Amino acid sequence: MYFVADVKENECAKYNCKQCVLFCPEPNCLNFKASTNSAWVWYDKCKGCEICVYVCSDLLKRNCVEMVMVTPKATAKS
Amino acid sequence: MGLEYVKISPGFEKYMPRDYVDLVKFGPFGKKVDVMQLGQFKELVEDHPMCAGCYMAYFIRIFYTALPNPEDTIVIGTAGCARLSLSQAAVPFVYGNYGDTNAVASGLKRALSIRFPDKHKDVVVIAGDGGLIDIGFGMTMHSWFRKEKFTTIMVDNEVYGNTGGQESGMSPKGVQLKMAPLGKKFDKINAVELAKVAGCVYVARLSPTNPKRIAKTVRRAILAARHFGPTFIHAYTSCNIEYSIPTREVLADARNREKKDFKFYEWMTDEVKEFLEEVERKEREEVKR
Ligand SMILES: Cc1ncc(C[n+]2csc(CCOP(=O)(O)OP(=O)(O)O)c2C)c(N)n1
Ligand code: SF4
Ligand code: SF4
Ligand code: SF4
Ligand SMILES: [Mg+2]
Repeated sequence: MYFVADVKENECAKYNCKQCVLFCPEPNCLNFKASTNSAWVWYDKCKGCEICVYVCSDLLKRNCVEMVMVTPKATAKS
Repeated sequence: MGLEYVKISPGFEKYMPRDYVDLVKFGPFGKKVDVMQLGQFKELVEDHPMCAGCYMAYFIRIFYTALPNPEDTIVIGTAGCARLSLSQAAVPFVYGNYGDTNAVASGLKRALSIRFPDKHKDVVVIAGDGGLIDIGFGMTMHSWFRKEKFTTIMVDNEVYGNTGGQESGMSPKGVQLKMAPLGKKFDKINAVELAKVAGCVYVARLSPTNPKRIAKTVRRAILAARHFGPTFIHAYTSCNIEYSIPTREVLADARNREKKDFKFYEWMTDEVKEFLEEVERKEREEVKR
């Protein structure tokens, strides 16, 4: 089991944002899909630091990122 | 050189790791990328073992996005946390002995300008506060006295992070660390003023709160070093492990320090200023076109 960030993509898409993508310490971990106008997390690369949660919830008050437990199998999403 | 040195020989694509194929297809080589495009191209730096929430790792991520010409850049690092990710990037990396980085970079930069007189090869040192201002102090200073044309970036976590928490000349006065239990007795060294006095032509101090500004600073430092002499960036890059910062608070801490002793500061000589204004004016015109 891993503790990773997960973007509620439908919620995120309402904002023309990207801020969490710009502040994640890990390369290509938080990405941005132009077709859906939403950020998404590549679970395999996420270290669970919650900086994205700080950005989205504490700074921007948008609450579009939550922390979830995933099993290695679920990480195949990417 | 552009894509030439990364491209895959025909027939071998299916044997290459996905990350490599992605780099060739979606990486920044031969194109201009901007920090605002992060998350939409394959970054030069790859997965690495730096700690969760490490803002030194974050600074390095932005640094690689900001390189004006990654295919003609060589990064020099040394013992310390930074090399854990510097060695995982698709940009040539040289591991200098601890303390020797700026001597290695001096020789390398001179050799490159003899070997490639017709193009710019950018040399950038990235090392810790211990590596540059304590143990490497003499080599750092002398590279500046000699006006060597490369960029030095100090990723200052105010501690010897990689070896478990000894104080450095950059630790703030009074701070207690695992292996400095009585508290530091001296002031934090004023690195940017030292750099100015020693002959750097461009110096900056920043806290990593604004990716666009980090990128602009890195670019300016590298471009100025090509023509005028040594350049220096002092970046606050917290160690959440040794300073016990909850990872969720790491950016808050960087913002907080920016309000105090890490206010953005930039200084350059008049000729560098004139040069950068001209370069940036041309870039803006290109974008308009
Ligand atoms: C000549 C030499 N002395 C000591 C060491 C041991 N050593 C490795 S990393 C390190 C401290 C690193 O501190 P800093 O340069 O601030 O980098 P950080 O890990 O904090 O990023 C030391 C003392 C070494 N590798 N070589
Ligand atoms: S900060 Fe929140 S709203 Fe903004 S891109 Fe990230 S998840 Fe979406
Ligand atoms: S938890 Fe940390 S590593 Fe994971 S996506 Fe968020 S900022 Fe990136
Ligand atoms: S020990 Fe500190 S500086 Fe080193 S990787 Fe971990 S958080 Fe970053
Ligand atoms: Mg250090």
